[in-house]
Amino acid sequence: MNTNRFRNLTAISAFLFLAGCSLIAHYDQVAYEHATSAKVDTLALMDKATGSYDGHQKEVEALVIELNKAYEYDRGRSLNKITVAQWDVLRDPNRNLVGGFLKMWKTKGSLSATFIAEKKLQIADGFDQIIALESGKLKPTEVKQ
Amino acid sequence: MANFDITGILKSVEEQTKALAQQQFKQYTQQAVGDVKDWLQKSKDDLKRWIEELAKGEIDKDEFQSLVQGQIDVAQMRALKQAGLAEAQIESFVNGVIDIVVNAAFAAIP
Repeated sequence: MNTNRFRNLTAISAFLFLAGCSLIAHYDQVAYEHATSAKVDTLALMDKATGSYDGHQKEVEALVIELNKAYEYDRGRSLNKITVAQWDVLRDPNRNLVGGFLKMWKTKGSLSATFIAEKKLQIADGFDQIIALESGKLKPTEVKQ
Repeated sequence: MANFDITGILKSVEEQTKALAQQQFKQYTQQAVGDVKDWLQKSKDDLKRWIEELAKGEIDKDEFQSLVQGQIDVAQMRALKQAGLAEAQIESFVNGVIDIVVNAAFAAIP
C-alpha cells in the first residue's frame, strides 16, 4: 500500500475516532427481514403475471404496500441514504425493476412466461443488492460505543 | 511518574495499523473486483440469451428493452451496494485502529 493512501486512511480514521461518528447505518434485523420477505412475495406474485392484471390487482396493491413499508422503515434510519437510493431504483415505475414490471403488467394486461422468468432473475438480483448491503453493515457486537 | 517509550508505542501502532489496512482493504478490493467481473460475464450471457428469445418471438421488443434497461438498473444498485460496503469497511478499520491504540497503550504500562 503506498504511503499517501496509508496516510489518507490514517487521517480519515483519526477524524472518525475524534468525531466518534459512523459513515453508514449499522445492521438492522428488521430491515433485513423486510427486504427478504418482500423479495419472496414479489417473485411469487410475478409468477401470476401470465394471468390478467385485473384478476390480481388486489395482490399487486398489497405488494406495493409491503414495499412501501420496507422503504419507509429504511428511510427513517439515520445514515441510510444508500439503502434508500437502492429502494428508489427498485420501486420506481419509470424504471425497469419491480415498479416497472408492475406498470408493464398493468399496461399490457398480461406478460409472457419467458419474460417473467427472465425478469424474476433480474429483480431477485436487485433485491440481493439491498440484502447484501444490509448484511455487510456492522453488527451491534462489532460497533465501538 | 512512569517513563513510557512514546516513540516505541507510536511505531508499534503505525506498524499494526498498516498491516490491518493492508489485510482489510486488500480483501475488500478483491471481493469488489470479483463481484464486478462475475456480473459482466453474467450480463454478456444474459444479453445473448435475450437476443435469441427475441428472435424466436418468445419475448417482444418492449420486453427485450425492459430487460436491457433493467440490467442497467441492477448495475446501479450494485454500485450503491459497493459504496455502502466500502463505508462499513472504513468504520470496521477505524474500530481496529482503536483496538490497536488501546492495546499498545496498555502494553506499555509496566
